[in-house]
Parts: sequence; structure tokens; C-alpha cells
Amino acid sequence: MAFDAGGELSDEALMVLYANGDRHAALALTRRITPRVLAYAARLLSGDRAEAEDVAQETMLRLWKVAPQWRQGETRVTTWAYRVATNLCIDRQRARGRRRQTALEDAPEVADASPNAEGRLQEAGRMQALEAALAELPDRQRQAVVLRHLEGMTNPEIAAIMEIGVEAVESLTARGKRALSAALSGRKEALGYEDDGHAG
Amino acid sequence: MRMTDMQDDDLDRLLSAAASAPVRPTDALMERVLADALALQPAPATLRPGPARTRPGLLARIAAAIGGGPVLAGLGSAAIFGLALGYLSPTTLDYLTGSTVDAAEFFPDADFLTTEG
Repeated sequence: MAFDAGGELSDEALMVLYANGDRHAALALTRRITPRVLAYAARLLSGDRAEAEDVAQETMLRLWKVAPQWRQGETRVTTWAYRVATNLCIDRQRARGRRRQTALEDAPEVADASPNAEGRLQEAGRMQALEAALAELPDRQRQAVVLRHLEGMTNPEIAAIMEIGVEAVESLTARGKRALSAALSGRKEALGYEDDGHAG
Repeated sequence: MRMTDMQDDDLDRLLSAAASAPVRPTDALMERVLADALALQPAPATLRPGPARTRPGLLARIAAAIGGGPVLAGLGSAAIFGLALGYLSPTTLDYLTGSTVDAAEFFPDADFLTTEG
């Protein structure tokens, strides 16, 4: 697998090459898109790794199928992939009849340990608490917050993925962050935010 | 925001830390995705070679050099017509052309120029 997935060709150009039978394009797209879709799905599915992998594989499978009919210039490949992954995650959440896997209360307390180990545990505890707090958010708020603050997308990109207006994205992310803040506030001390101020 | 809510900075820092925490796909997942990609990939279009070309013969090459079949036909026709014109007597030509004039006299008053005396 010597092909450089970070080459200069755009995702859209790689789609055309893939549809024309270029095996390097298949590999490049796999390497570029799969990790992003997996990370996104894992965050939407509250860290359920197995389900996130299923979503990532299914999203990519649909990408391969649509490649011969891909229309250049209409949609970015990543936008399309995030949109499909979002819908697959929603379907899975509905199918299993629950929105969250990890209860906020399940986040581990920071254990007494040596300073270094305590720091790592505290960081892990914070991540787990954030994951649990994200799981508490309504679906659309969670999608918007994850796309904006964890996937690093711009509001117009998020608007394209969620098929809503930019103002609606801004509203969703703002409300999502307020809800996250409220959900985490009860654990401020346990997560170390009162003791070390802005320590990260 | 309530007094007990997290500070915005703390939340931003937490989100930033989460964003930088990688979610790495396993090799097994990447291999499954790539296997799907290759299984569903359309076959590349193949270019088929045309039928083998045979070398034309000497006459064909000569004919091609002077313009091909139509030109040869025109040349042949002209040659045959020229031979016919040369072979046939003027009387026959008159018959062919329907002419009743034996000879055209372009300068009827110029005989004195060639007459002696």
C-alpha cells in the first residue's frame, strides 16, 4: 500500500478515477474517508466502536456503489459521506431503542494515584464525561456540536451535511454547547475544573 | 448560564482535547472497506486493437500514389477517348458529331496572299 492517500488529487477526482477502474483511487479514498467517518460515527454513537465500524463500512459501501453515477461539482464527497453516516447512526439509535449507551453517572471518578497517573486518569475521565454528556443531547444538537467542535467543520459545511440553513446550525451548536455545559457542571469538581482552573 | 455551569473556556478546552484524540480505524476495518471497494469497482475500459493491416501490393501503391481508383478511372477514360479520336477518320467524326460542314474557312479572302502571279 504504497499509494499516498494525501496526494494532491481531490476526493471528487479520485471518485472519477475509481469509477474508471483505478485501484489506487480505491485505496486512496479508503484511507482518506474511512477514518473520518469512523470517528464521526463513534462520537454520534457514544463511543460504541463496533457499531461505528459497521456504520463506517456501510457508508463506504454506499460510496462505492454511487461512484459510477457521481456528478462532479454537486456535492463534496466528505459532505455526502457525513450525511450518509448521520442517517445510518440515527437508524441504529432508533433500532436499538436508546440514544445513549453510557450514563453520565457512569463516568469514572478521578482515582487517587500518583500525579502523572492522576493526570491521565483525569483526562480519561473528562473524555468519558464529555461522551456521556454528548449522548444526553438531542440528536440534531449532538450532530451539530460533533461536526463543529470535534470534526472541525465550518458552519456552511455542516449546513450542507444536515441540509439546513447556516443560522439553524449556529442555533443548534449554541444550544448544544449550553446543554453540554449544564450537563458537565455537576461534575466540575470531579473532573478537576475547580482545582486547576484552566488546566487542560 | 447558571453559576454552577462550566466556564466556556473549560468546555472549549475539553472539546478541543476530544477533537485531537484520534479515533484510529483498525487494520481489519480498512481491509474490509478496501475489499468492498475492489469488489464493487467497475472494470477499466479496455482498448481493443484493430484488425491487422496487410501491406498493399505494388499496383495498389502506385494507384494510391497517383490518387487512387477514381483518378485511375478518369485517366483510363481519357486515354481511350483520345485513342478513338486519333483512330477515327474525320468523316466518322462528322457522323458522330452530326456535323455537315467539311471544313471551316476562317479567312475566305486571304487566298491572294498565297496565290502567285
